[in-house]
Amino acid sequence: MSRLQRSGPLALLLVVLVLVAFPFYWMLLTSVTPREALFKPPYRLFRLDFSLGNYRELLFATEFVRYFANSLIAAVGAIVLNVVAATLAGYGLTRFAFPGKKTFAFGTLFSYMFPPMLMAIPLYILFSALQMRNTYTGLILAHMAISLPLNIWLMWQYFQIVPLSLEEAAWTSGASRLAALRQVCLPAARPGILSVAIFSFALSWNDFTFAFILQTDRKMFTLPVGLASFVEQTGVHWGMVMAAAVLVSVPTFLLVFFLQRYLLSGLRTAG
Amino acid sequence: MAFAVRLEGLDKRFGRGAREVHAVRDLSLEIGEREFFTFVGPSGCGKTTTLRMIAGLETPTAGRIWFGDTDVTALPPQQRDIAMVFQDVALFPYMTVRQNIGYPLRITGLPRARIDEKVEKVAATLGLSDKLAMKPGQLSGGQQQRVAIGRAIIKEPKVLLMDEPLSALDARLRVEMRTEILRLHREISSTIIYVTHDQVEAMTMSTRVAVMDQGRALQIAPPRTIFRRPADVTVATFVGTPPMNIIPATVVTTPGGMVIELLGQQIPVVPSHHGALQGLSRVEVGIRPQSIRLARPNPDRMPGRVFLREPLGLEDEVLVEAADGTRVKVVTAAGEEFPEGSVVGLEFGLLDIHLFDGESKDAICHGIG
Repeated sequence: MSRLQRSGPLALLLVVLVLVAFPFYWMLLTSVTPREALFKPPYRLFRLDFSLGNYRELLFATEFVRYFANSLIAAVGAIVLNVVAATLAGYGLTRFAFPGKKTFAFGTLFSYMFPPMLMAIPLYILFSALQMRNTYTGLILAHMAISLPLNIWLMWQYFQIVPLSLEEAAWTSGASRLAALRQVCLPAARPGILSVAIFSFALSWNDFTFAFILQTDRKMFTLPVGLASFVEQTGVHWGMVMAAAVLVSVPTFLLVFFLQRYLLSGLRTAG
Repeated sequence: MAFAVRLEGLDKRFGRGAREVHAVRDLSLEIGEREFFTFVGPSGCGKTTTLRMIAGLETPTAGRIWFGDTDVTALPPQQRDIAMVFQDVALFPYMTVRQNIGYPLRITGLPRARIDEKVEKVAATLGLSDKLAMKPGQLSGGQQQRVAIGRAIIKEPKVLLMDEPLSALDARLRVEMRTEILRLHREISSTIIYVTHDQVEAMTMSTRVAVMDQGRALQIAPPRTIFRRPADVTVATFVGTPPMNIIPATVVTTPGGMVIELLGQQIPVVPSHHGALQGLSRVEVGIRPQSIRLARPNPDRMPGRVFLREPLGLEDEVLVEAADGTRVKVVTAAGEEFPEGSVVGLEFGLLDIHLFDGESKDAICHGIG
């Protein structure tokens, strides 16, 4: 391959990289720039007036930590419940015959097509009656209502490529159905399970609609709602908002950073 | 006879209504202790379904399965004293060879040290000692199948089930593994029940063979008997390479006695066989290609013309066309005699002739000398 042919795609990648990475860089830079310096010309791509003042203000003068904890609880809850429910449902759909199975499987996929807003209002009414507004359970269930259908469908697909003979080999080796599921089926479906976990996390972590409508108590705000309230409350303190944005992206970054190795190794064994 | 496994009127149907498949029909047989029993037949004949019912992976529609004096029909696979080797190997991909072989013992909760000890012993028997730390994906097809066999025999099951374990291997490896499995059969105390579509595997390995077709066992007998005294035309043509020639013929009673008219030639039937042929007119004559000799044409020999000659090395397969267009396959020593197009006479001994009923296709007698 000539040097020109190789450098073509490389240049393209470089352009895309800049487009994708620049907002992150700007976010990081703004978050460590003191408020006074932010709107003082000249505006440069590199600044040296480094300060953690925005972070200090965010962590100690606002409810940020509480919002963060709320978001984390909702996300972890959504991950755990989604993984358990989607794994068992996917296993059941591939390994057992029951009437209406196909309809059920396509029904779950169909229900994923509803926009969140369509469900938010009925859920508001329902959870009001059940006194589940402003609770973690309510929020987690609402997030599951959106993510679970796709997760079930995903695990259903995944278990279809785990050969039944693997389990049969476990059974004829003396393993019970549950032991075979745990020791043989789940490891083989691990990439699928990790996809479910990441998707559930991303959906819950980024959700604005449900959190905004269901969590009316300030104490129960999640990050997206809390961040929005920063913008309304105090004019826009961009340095602090960017500091919050940095901290919000940390868990997502960590999750993908650590799980991508499993995801890739999972893809390798499956391929 | 002390039997390990007994099938009693076993029946299996899949699906419902018009799409129903009758996979196994009223199958009854007994398999003795330490036997090497093989179900052989074309795909879809019900052999694998039968094996899976013995394993407990399929529930019979009717009939009973006995292990010794115990009725296991309703028991799940975990509660039957079995182990199984699968056609697609079915090794656990993310476990090492050591973990794969030791898996059945891990279930029983045996201490780790005891498991390791047994795994190493089994691995040594199968020549896998240096592969224990590897994952199945790093092994060749033959090694993977050895691991699968190791996982099956480590528990020393009463009944060892094998579902076409060699079909994924190449021809050379298949022959090698055949010897290996035979050696294992001698060393372990398990009864082996084996399923294959390859008649050579069935004939070379088994103590007894059940030839299956369309859910029925056509014949259950030792390999030699199946070869020498096939129960019907299907068995006769299924076993042996190339397949037995089946030629339509008629039974005629002449003033000189009973004769069989075969390709325009009259073959006298000895009086001791008259009874069996009484009342029949249409029959089918079976002759193995190896039992026919090519010779110069003369009035006592069946005339024909060499249509095709295929050299196979030591031997040639020759297709001879008779006057009425019937084609007869002959296996003969390799050579230049009787090239394609030449006129020949076919010679065979009366003891090598099998007679089948023209209607029911069942065997009437083997050898009419």
